[in-house]
Amino acid sequence: MLKPKVNFSDNDFVEGLKVGDDQVLKALYKKYYNLVLKLVVSNSGSSEAAQDVYQETIIILYEKCQDPEFKLSCQLQTYVYSVARNLWLKHLKKHGKTGELKEYHQDVFEDASLDTKAHLKKEESIDKVYKSLEELGEPCASLIKDFYIKKMNMEEISEKFGYTNADNAKNQKYKCLQRLKRLYFENFTIVD
Amino acid sequence: MRTVDLFDNYLEGKLNAQELAAFELRASSDPVFLKALEEHKTLIGILNTSNERQILKNKLKHIHSIEFGKEAKIISINKPEKFTKRIGKTFMVAASAAVIAVISTIALLSTGGYLLEKQDIKITDLGLEVAGLKSSQNAIVRKLNSKEDKPFAAANLEGSAFALNNNGYVITSWHMVNGADSIFIQNSTTERALTKIIFNDPALDIAVLKIENEEVSKAWQVPFTFNSRIAEVGEEVYTLGYPRQDVVYGEGSLSSLSGYSNDSAMYQVSIPVNPGNSGGPVLDSQGNIIGVIRGKITTAEGTGFAVKSTEIIRSIASVEGESVKSELILNNTKSSLKKLKRSEQIKRINPYVFNVLVYKNN
Repeated sequence: MLKPKVNFSDNDFVEGLKVGDDQVLKALYKKYYNLVLKLVVSNSGSSEAAQDVYQETIIILYEKCQDPEFKLSCQLQTYVYSVARNLWLKHLKKHGKTGELKEYHQDVFEDASLDTKAHLKKEESIDKVYKSLEELGEPCASLIKDFYIKKMNMEEISEKFGYTNADNAKNQKYKCLQRLKRLYFENFTIVD
Repeated sequence: MRTVDLFDNYLEGKLNAQELAAFELRASSDPVFLKALEEHKTLIGILNTSNERQILKNKLKHIHSIEFGKEAKIISINKPEKFTKRIGKTFMVAASAAVIAVISTIALLSTGGYLLEKQDIKITDLGLEVAGLKSSQNAIVRKLNSKEDKPFAAANLEGSAFALNNNGYVITSWHMVNGADSIFIQNSTTERALTKIIFNDPALDIAVLKIENEEVSKAWQVPFTFNSRIAEVGEEVYTLGYPRQDVVYGEGSLSSLSGYSNDSAMYQVSIPVNPGNSGGPVLDSQGNIIGVIRGKITTAEGTGFAVKSTEIIRSIASVEGESVKSELILNNTKSSLKKLKRSEQIKRINPYVFNVLVYKNN
């Protein structure tokens, strides 16, 4: 029986994530889960929290790998540990828990904190957009999501929302988007 | 065309060369236009990122449930009801797929601790009294340290186990105790004690037993800790176990970070293991537990496999129910064995390594 490749190098992982290889993603996930689990669980976290932190860590690494220029400047294990550690420290701080962290890896890659910060900042923006969408209400929120996320075209949207034609749907989308921008940006720039 | 639609077309690469040139010219000369474009890009970018993160997160959750989820690993046996009732309510729901997977693995490995095999390989060599043992299940096994002559029926299966923590929990191989009617442990300091199965992970082939009589573990001070890191190839390792009635020491080194057919949950060790070693500890030179002996390849001598301590930590951490969980916590006080000579280490470890006696009625 053929078995998938088991021993990936750090570089295999990075290259695999760049091209979105699911086998690599799976192998990566398996590889460092225990490390992060141990870190979180021994520092007053639950295994559910560990799972969240670990998945967030993999997402950060995955997004970094989408940058064609990205190169690891430390061992992958160190990178994963450092990001997870930063995320968990943030969490502890948020809940007013401080004190010595029980460590499970020798090195920490300092620059990983920049990646963690950038990620969390984007996460905040996402929250803000979703809050704005909520405020916007229906059908606007769905219309925006269908067009920009689901990439539905105006004919499909027109049919779904019961507009008389695609132009009418496009008009609605325009109005909805303007309102969304007004909610999201403090000083929204009007061009037309 | 509205400017917003123009932005959308630009971002989706739908502008032709001429339109694109005009677009770029305007962006470079009209700061308001440029600012509006940036805002548009930011907002749409956030929507896309959020969507991509969600998709990836779902993918990771799926991987997690397959690789580490309860459905996949923490399951229990499909045994007759009398068995389930006997050992109480701590059992979890069975998932037949994993059971089949485990059974098929065991079939390929010689993991058993059968008494008969034991006699052929070990006891006959050492000239112990084996005739009685060999004859039938009703044969008499002498207690290790027995001063009184209290006979017990021979076990159907024997193997090894070792202490998990000071609360009277021990860990052994699941294939040893699967389907047992009763399970006893004993060694030179602990008299034959009845245990019950508290937790099992057939995928890893481990089971955790609890000694029923709490008096037995009252004074326990487990000297070793479970290593939370992957050990390194070439490390010196050793095991203690009960391939025969006295504890037997075996040493070797860690030969591979993966086990039988590349199973990444196991180490390969170059320790001669025999039937009866299953469920015994694998320790590193510092006296940390790095694994549990699972089995060996039938075709090669001196090649054993051990379930990694990291896998055990993970598996036990996934147990649900706070009360059980707090009881199952692995011993993690600093290993008191670090600076000791090997023989001294063994002296301290021995009281916490047991001979497991498994009885089956059918």
